[in-house]
Amino acid sequence: MARILGAHRIAAAVVALALVLSGCAGGGGRKGPIELTFWSWVPGIDKSVALWNRTHPGVQVHLDQITAGADGGYAKMFSAVKAGSGPDVAQVEYWAIPAFVLEGGLVDLSKHGVRQYQNRFVPWQWNQGVFNGGVYAVPQASGPMALYYRADLFAKYGLKPPATWADYAKAAAVIKQKDPTASIGTFPPANSQWFISLAWQAGAHWFGAADKWSVDIDDPATQKVASYWDGLRRKGLVDTMPDVQTGWYKAVHDGKILAWVGPQWGDALLKGNAPNTAGKWRVAPMPQWDPKHEASSNWGGSSSAVLRGTTHPDEAMQFAVWLNTDRGSINDLIAGGYGWPAAAGALKGSALDHPDPFFGGQRYNDVFADADKHIDTGWRWIPTTMSLIDTLNTGFTNAITSPHGTFLGAVRTAQTTTVRDMRRKGLQVVAPPER
Amino acid sequence: MSQPTPSAPRRAPLLFLGPFAVLFALFFVVPIVYALWQSFTGVRRTGPLGLGGSRTVFAGLSNYAAALTQTGFAASLLRILIFGVVVVPVMIVAATALALMLDAASARWPRFFRAVYFLPYGIPGVIASILWSFLYLPGLSPILEVLGKLGIDVDPLGGTGVLWAIANIVIWEFAGYNMLVIVAQLQSVPGDLYDAARVDGANAWQMIWRIKLPLIRPAVVLTTVFTIIGTLQLFAEPMVLKRGAPAITNDYTPNVSAYNQAFTYNNYGLAAAEAVLLALAAFVLSFGFLRLVGRGGRAGGAR
Repeated sequence: MARILGAHRIAAAVVALALVLSGCAGGGGRKGPIELTFWSWVPGIDKSVALWNRTHPGVQVHLDQITAGADGGYAKMFSAVKAGSGPDVAQVEYWAIPAFVLEGGLVDLSKHGVRQYQNRFVPWQWNQGVFNGGVYAVPQASGPMALYYRADLFAKYGLKPPATWADYAKAAAVIKQKDPTASIGTFPPANSQWFISLAWQAGAHWFGAADKWSVDIDDPATQKVASYWDGLRRKGLVDTMPDVQTGWYKAVHDGKILAWVGPQWGDALLKGNAPNTAGKWRVAPMPQWDPKHEASSNWGGSSSAVLRGTTHPDEAMQFAVWLNTDRGSINDLIAGGYGWPAAAGALKGSALDHPDPFFGGQRYNDVFADADKHIDTGWRWIPTTMSLIDTLNTGFTNAITSPHGTFLGAVRTAQTTTVRDMRRKGLQVVAPPER
Repeated sequence: MSQPTPSAPRRAPLLFLGPFAVLFALFFVVPIVYALWQSFTGVRRTGPLGLGGSRTVFAGLSNYAAALTQTGFAASLLRILIFGVVVVPVMIVAATALALMLDAASARWPRFFRAVYFLPYGIPGVIASILWSFLYLPGLSPILEVLGKLGIDVDPLGGTGVLWAIANIVIWEFAGYNMLVIVAQLQSVPGDLYDAARVDGANAWQMIWRIKLPLIRPAVVLTTVFTIIGTLQLFAEPMVLKRGAPAITNDYTPNVSAYNQAFTYNNYGLAAAEAVLLALAAFVLSFGFLRLVGRGGRAGGAR
């Protein structure tokens, strides 16, 4: 494994060498604890790993902090899997699981008895790792969606948190009128996962993974969402700057972005990047399309997967299950802002279950707990999700930079591109006739 | 005179060539042949959801067809050509001008300024891009703030203007390096040529046009070829800037596109085809340029 040698790693190597040598001297062959390597980028996960190492002397886990998946972490993992030099356990987001399964990168844990732990997890999240009867990942966390909003500025402009998307559009207009430099929010063109989450809420089912893959991206629900944001953008009621990056944080910090339809794990981002706005935020449910049928959504979600090439699949699986179900580990991960636990019933009594001064003392996670109950749990991903996300990013970007581009057009392009992408990978794809 | 054994002279060159030949074959010829082979392959899968197994199949020219028609690769080639048409001349003119200024008799502290101009080259491309990205970000950049106060609102990272924001970084990074190559050549110009020119009554401009420019021609040609190839391989700057610049897509430059096809989407055949096409483009452009100036050089009677 080619890695940068840090001081601690040299120390670890020396210790490992000493262990091997002492083992040899004893003449008893290889002794000492089993060693696992774990690749992840989740902040705070080092504390969980340290906790495991303290409590499990027989299996020692070495954590390698890698770049977040889409920023190069997966590229590194795919290369490592191809070269047979990958870690034993790795962080894999839900949307990326099918790609790793297709490349044969993940160990089917059902062959190692993982099903006995199934009831410890939220069912839909468990299903994110199930393909063709195999179980390829242990779910870790998700990101139920809600509306973060600046209670002080909403009150100042006489607004209530919008209950419906129609209300959201009205509030957007009021905000633009009162402060032309501010916006209710942004349509982030280069972050289509956000858009996917909104389509998910509206009832879209883009993908199926029954016997063949099916792809239906430009379905009526998605068209409705795309047209809605086309409308807001045409009227200049929303910003189109990229979200969750420096410029956006600055706007949030300066009170120029008044609300964010965002995931539960976004709380840490707001706290960390706009600390001066503490106490002014509140959380409300996502605006609804149909107030009679409350629907929320999810953005993100991540798992621990055991990678092909491990020599200790059973121990690796034990670690993955422990990491995501142990109370102490979950609390460490919550402190790092990893999101919403995939372990069933983990909220009660956890570090999430408290009023928070950043949100004016609101027990804001109750809103996310409620959102979690209203997520369409049939959502599936495909092996070419990354390409799809990029295609949508490109399409949305072109929509805002070219005079006649629309988000709706970007969604239509994504459908044809995705079907073509998957067929190029040698897959059979079911797609509805072109609309 | 002792006669060497007949085999020794024949073995010696082999011995000296050996290490180079082995490394050249391992790290140059083999990867190229492998990439060529890959560019003609595709994958077929069986079983439910395609998880039943996969095999590599001959795909003919389909990867090349896909690269040119179904992805943004062709557009990225065009984009980089437009980029090069602007960046290459600006870069070479800037580097030459800086070199001539430092070489001028009236230049003050030429060593100091040479080091200053060269300094950006010492900063890795990724770091340089991060540095510049802060100077480009509205709300953070002191430059944009001053411009804003003067009533000029620019957003270098927003919209399609980001291409020229990248051009600025590239010129900033490499003009100093190219300048140094030209300075080295300028310093090898024999001093008596200048003395002779002065005796003939040539002024500073005439010396530049009649002596310096013709004599640094090889260095200028060399830096131009470097710049053409470097431009085609543009990679680090867009990869870094894309975070804050939505216009930078996953296939913004040919190299970014090939990288993403290979390592993000696992379409190795398609990535190989894109890499081969990019190599062909670099070959045609750099050799085309060399032929063009080569003819001009002979016509000018340099020899």
